[in-house]
Amino acid sequence: MNEMQSGEHGGSTRRSFLKLFTGTLSSLFALVLGIPLVGTLVGPIYRTKKLHWAKVAGIDSLPLGQPVKLSWVDQKVDAFVQEQVELDVWAIKHSTTEVTVFSPICPHLGCQYSWHPDKQEFICPCHSSIYSITGKVLGGPSPRHLDTLPTKLENGVLYVEWERFEAGIPQKIRV
Amino acid sequence: MFSRIGRWINDRWPLDALIRLGLEEEMIGGTSYAYVFGSAVFLTFVLQVVTGIWQLFYFVPSIDHAYDSLSYLRLQVAFGWLIHGLHHWGADAMIILVGLHMSRVFIWGAYKHPRQLTWLIGVGLLIFTLALGFTGPVLPWSQLGYWEAEVGTSMAGTVPLIGQFIERLLRAGADLGELTLSRFYVLHVAILPGILLLFIGPHLIAFRKFGMSGPWDEAKRKSIGPFWPDQVFKDTIFFSLIFVILVGLSAYASPPFPGPLDLLATSYTPKPEWYFFFLYQSLKAFHAKLEPIGTVGIPLFVTLLLLFLPFLDRSSERNPARRPVAMIGYFIFILWVIVLGIVGYYSKPGASTSVATKALSVTTAPTAKMPASAQRGSELFHSLGCIGCHQIHGQGGTIGPDLSSEVLGGKSHQWLTTQIRDPKKHDPNTIMPALSLASDQQVNDVADFLLTLEPVQKSGQTPSPKPSSAKTPMAQETSSAGQQKVSGPHGLPGPAASMIGNADLGSITFKNICQACHGPQGAGNVPNPGSDDGTVPPLNPIDPHLSSKNAQTFAENIGRIIQHGSIPEGPHPQLDMLPFGDDHTLTQPEIANVEAYVLKLNGLGRAQLVHPGISPHLFFWLVLAAFTIVFGGLGIGLARKKNS
Repeated sequence: MNEMQSGEHGGSTRRSFLKLFTGTLSSLFALVLGIPLVGTLVGPIYRTKKLHWAKVAGIDSLPLGQPVKLSWVDQKVDAFVQEQVELDVWAIKHSTTEVTVFSPICPHLGCQYSWHPDKQEFICPCHSSIYSITGKVLGGPSPRHLDTLPTKLENGVLYVEWERFEAGIPQKIRV
Repeated sequence: MFSRIGRWINDRWPLDALIRLGLEEEMIGGTSYAYVFGSAVFLTFVLQVVTGIWQLFYFVPSIDHAYDSLSYLRLQVAFGWLIHGLHHWGADAMIILVGLHMSRVFIWGAYKHPRQLTWLIGVGLLIFTLALGFTGPVLPWSQLGYWEAEVGTSMAGTVPLIGQFIERLLRAGADLGELTLSRFYVLHVAILPGILLLFIGPHLIAFRKFGMSGPWDEAKRKSIGPFWPDQVFKDTIFFSLIFVILVGLSAYASPPFPGPLDLLATSYTPKPEWYFFFLYQSLKAFHAKLEPIGTVGIPLFVTLLLLFLPFLDRSSERNPARRPVAMIGYFIFILWVIVLGIVGYYSKPGASTSVATKALSVTTAPTAKMPASAQRGSELFHSLGCIGCHQIHGQGGTIGPDLSSEVLGGKSHQWLTTQIRDPKKHDPNTIMPALSLASDQQVNDVADFLLTLEPVQKSGQTPSPKPSSAKTPMAQETSSAGQQKVSGPHGLPGPAASMIGNADLGSITFKNICQACHGPQGAGNVPNPGSDDGTVPPLNPIDPHLSSKNAQTFAENIGRIIQHGSIPEGPHPQLDMLPFGDDHTLTQPEIANVEAYVLKLNGLGRAQLVHPGISPHLFFWLVLAAFTIVFGGLGIGLARKKNS
């Protein structure tokens, strides 16, 4: 953009000063608006999902020492959308104060495995990973043992924190 | 380096020529702050486009998600409060600036030859700006915007001959629904802004062709001033001021959350946006058959007057002092807009002085014959809390008998007043509390009202008059289709907990439904014999196990109880909490509003900023400081240059 020459020295200095002023203000305005605009897009992308305790079931009626599949309806939150999803877990009641809960998802590649009472083993139908009643890998391609989920017992009621873990790796890493 | 790049581009594209076209103008009479409004409108429009588009990253135009997606943006997205606030307040600013700009142009007589086309295009811009102002507020599909669409499209329907067609076209059918929202959405985000841009180009070109009309005083026309940088400098200063004000409003006057749409609620007075108030108020003068004069005639008349202005006023005189007709006409118009606008703001049409509820409109027979005492009694039935336990015509609680059934048949006035004052006289085992708070006049009024009720034969529905002596357990363990669905106080919080309700609307529902048991403003002290606590739990302050500093958690905690009900601990509590959500006594939006009210009673706003990015107040002060420093620093520099 060519500087327009005007007669007086004072005039052109004033002109260039006005240009500087206008330019600075406009840049400030762009910055003040620009940062929030970027913020709205970048802000939410690194958030981790909030965990919550889901009420699963009363444990009084559960058999001792045998895996039982427990289901419940949970509220899944995706931004502003609430969805009701049915979730389930394998639970083994050791006593009135101790319960082990396994995620039903096989750590190998994510299939749902089942309990075989005749063999007293968990077996995954996809690639035949086999786990003991304690979740330990007995055979098959699974890189790690069954994933346990955090639990708590309150007044004979079992609460579980539903989490998912990365499949196919030896480490138990929360997704 | 930039000049080299500039030269490279200019050899291949007319960059300099275009910039010169935009910026070169010797303004007759010099530059002035009076001329800033046009560019202010344009820059505000650009702001609206940017903030509007940005909201589209989060806003979903379906009736299920519109309100919640916008709430999510405003509360859970960094700087979402700012983007939405700027857009909301920017819309108001744009309308005001358009008014100021048109006023300035009118007073300067800048619609006269040869600027008639500039003016005409400008009137078009005005119409489409107002159309944007009409379609925008509808999009959140809230308790505010929905009714604006309802009334607005009905008004369009009053146009003679083609009105019904226009109404149906806007609504995509007879009623408002999913497709209506889609149409308003496309109009607001695509078609209307596109039209505005199409008009702005020719408007600016027409303006640049003849330049600023300049002063009407010949003496003042001798001097000249350059548009760039002098006028642009003034425009920038003015717009910076507007921008800082808009940021301030976004930070300190966040737009309200009107609550999700509730089609059943009648306790709300629909009103248009403030810029339509003068029209809204004028309409009230035209009843029945004359209505189209108000809805169609007035806007048409004003529009035609504006369009034909350059042809009605052909004199070349531009001095306002020598254009009495024009100036008087202008002042009358401004007076009309402002005065009726203010009246419209304060008017509350159709709202009864007592609490209007949905039950009221259903239970009171629409005859003029109901005596005044029964009218009062009908309102007292709600405000005294009777409706919390008793149904009338399908509205109300189910702890006590349905009073619109035969249970009241043949009962005398005397019997009724005794039942209200001292129910145990009729049945020693009743759980109905004696109404000691009311005056004799009030008890008489309620009795009068009850006597006007005609039992309704509900076909196919078993009348459920629960004998008042039996305690009715309310909370149920529901199990559907083998799923272990947990209900009761530990059930799911329900859809209402994720909606941002409106506490003011919630206070109305609270008075009608909750106050009877929880006390005025949730203060408690209502006896509940047979329960461990002895009284119904107060809500203000509420049990600390339920409250939380996190508004969402708090709402979920109380939501579980409101949705699924609760039986208090104790040997046999007389009163238990109904499952207001499960049995549909309250709609989800009503529950959302009540939740917002209970939070408010406990000093917490339901619309809590979860992820603001930066505190709004802090952001405003930083912005103000930044602009002040730049202004101050450069201002001092400018003063020095003037003196050097």
